[in-house]
Amino acid sequence: MVTIDDYQGQVTAWCPGCGDFGILQALKKALVDLKLEPHQVLIVSGIGQASKLPHYMKCNTFNGLHGRILPVATGAKIANQELVVIGVGGDGDNYGEGGNHFLHTIRRNIDITLLVHNNRVYGLTKGQASPTSDPGFISKVQPQGVISSSFNALSLAISLHASFVSRSWSGDIDHLSWLIKEAVQHKGFSLIDILQPCITFNKKNTYRWYKERIYKLAEEYDPANRLAAFKKAEEWGDKIPIGIFYREKKPTFADQLFGLKKGPLFRQRLDPSQVMPLLETLS
Amino acid sequence: MNKRILMSGNEALAEGAIRAGCRYYFGYPITPQSEIAAYMARRMREVEGIFLQAESELAAINMVYGAASAGARTMTSSSGPGISLKQEGISYLAGAELPAVVVNVMRGGPGLGNIAPSQSDYFQATRGGGHGDYHLVVLAPSSVQEMADLTYLAFDLADKYRNPMMILADAILGQMMEGVKFKNGVKDIPGKKWAIGGARGRDANIIRSLYLQEGVLEEHNRHLQEKYARMRSQEVRYESFAAKDADLLIIAYGSMARLSMEVVNKLREKGVKAGLLRPISLWPFPYTAIKRLISGVKFIFVVEMSEGQMLEDVKLAVGSQVPVYFYGRLGGGVPTPLEIMEKIESLLKNRI
Repeated sequence: MVTIDDYQGQVTAWCPGCGDFGILQALKKALVDLKLEPHQVLIVSGIGQASKLPHYMKCNTFNGLHGRILPVATGAKIANQELVVIGVGGDGDNYGEGGNHFLHTIRRNIDITLLVHNNRVYGLTKGQASPTSDPGFISKVQPQGVISSSFNALSLAISLHASFVSRSWSGDIDHLSWLIKEAVQHKGFSLIDILQPCITFNKKNTYRWYKERIYKLAEEYDPANRLAAFKKAEEWGDKIPIGIFYREKKPTFADQLFGLKKGPLFRQRLDPSQVMPLLETLS
Repeated sequence: MNKRILMSGNEALAEGAIRAGCRYYFGYPITPQSEIAAYMARRMREVEGIFLQAESELAAINMVYGAASAGARTMTSSSGPGISLKQEGISYLAGAELPAVVVNVMRGGPGLGNIAPSQSDYFQATRGGGHGDYHLVVLAPSSVQEMADLTYLAFDLADKYRNPMMILADAILGQMMEGVKFKNGVKDIPGKKWAIGGARGRDANIIRSLYLQEGVLEEHNRHLQEKYARMRSQEVRYESFAAKDADLLIIAYGSMARLSMEVVNKLREKGVKAGLLRPISLWPFPYTAIKRLISGVKFIFVVEMSEGQMLEDVKLAVGSQVPVYFYGRLGGGVPTPLEIMEKIESLLKNRI
């Protein structure tokens, strides 16, 4: 039986009280609940505080380049569909530097889960505004406050027909681990935007700030209704919904590739003799 | 205002750029140079310039590409991994002959490496970095004062040659604080007739690096090479210290030259005739100056925070005339003057 301890990695180097701890705990819990063994799982990250997470896990891990989580995860999943591939990174990693990859991975519907630790600030480089910082957010580098509008990943993902669009927050481990299980079991690209306080650099979006605003989508909410999903994704301010906003059944990238129908690439053996009939037709 | 102000190297560099008339800064956070962005964010408001935190390094260098083509004094800054991302844009700036300043506050590599001081981007800076036959003038400050002065100079050179310039500093120089004096701000930046900015009454200015017709690109390249030849003859900069009667010549740049100066003083106290040569322009490299200096020198000692990258240029200058020895630290390791002394002393002992 797999246990939480099986996933225990290195000693963490996050600030005490960081929202990342809740996400790490929820992820381990979800994987154990799904009875996934560490060797069956690959965690891919980029660069940032969130992207340190694979170091604190014990399973297959890949800590790659800033913003390039999804291309690496795509390559790994295509080569070995048997792996449960989970991308992990922050809002800067995924929505800033890696924004382009975010769009196109959704379009391809690669069967992976992406956890975005959305603390709405750059933590690793010490407090610059991120793509999800609120307009008016003041930092050392934005002394007059952010003047760009905030990146709404959920609305964007829904507009691209992402097959699983959801949000949770690091302060509710039961909800988040439930959502991770749903996302991992979903066939296709799954986004979990995880609201997360940064106790050091984001003095606005604190635990209390989130607690006062967050509510769960009602039982009767229908995630198949795209227009309703848009409406919910646009809801922000005094009330912030969490849960599964949008779900759409559609074939994954691998489902549509002839070459992958025979199984993962790494299991397919080269057989030069199969080429002979083709060569003969050319002679 | 000519007071001496206590500042970090990153801040002094940013102020130097402001004084040089830079009003458009585009960047993306990375340690150990984020203070440049923070300083720019504050100062650009005061001088009514533009500070923009881009979504990526690629966006930032392309914003520089755009601002430069419109005739502005513009810059970006980053460190190792971010500078690698900017290389495509730098190649285009060189190809399109646009003036801009790119700052690399070097950290340990390869890959993400770490955030400690390093000089391991020397090859990337001096040998190209991006694709194509091109060069940047690469200036290597070794004090907070020079972080300001060489950045100021870089803007003038960029305009003079219509070519991107690079400031190659490291985490020590970026983070350390020293007193610094600033030149007055430039009043008038000469107009740029080639810039895009409305073509009413004149032919259109076209900014491009694409030349598809047969032979045209080769001709463009010849023109670029003529420009680089002018840089080679006019922009070599270096400084020597106690080098005239030296038996032992240390060659180092940037923060390692600072350390080496202490080593020279200590060796002199012990009766060893040591001297220092410090290249300030890494491209063009002071080959001729080194050749001239070494006639009386018994051996040369190169110190770098790398596996020996400038060492190759030194060897090109020296040939087989004088033996060249090397000491380097890797991956963010910083040598102490004592460590360098010990290496040199053991070398001296073995040679006798």
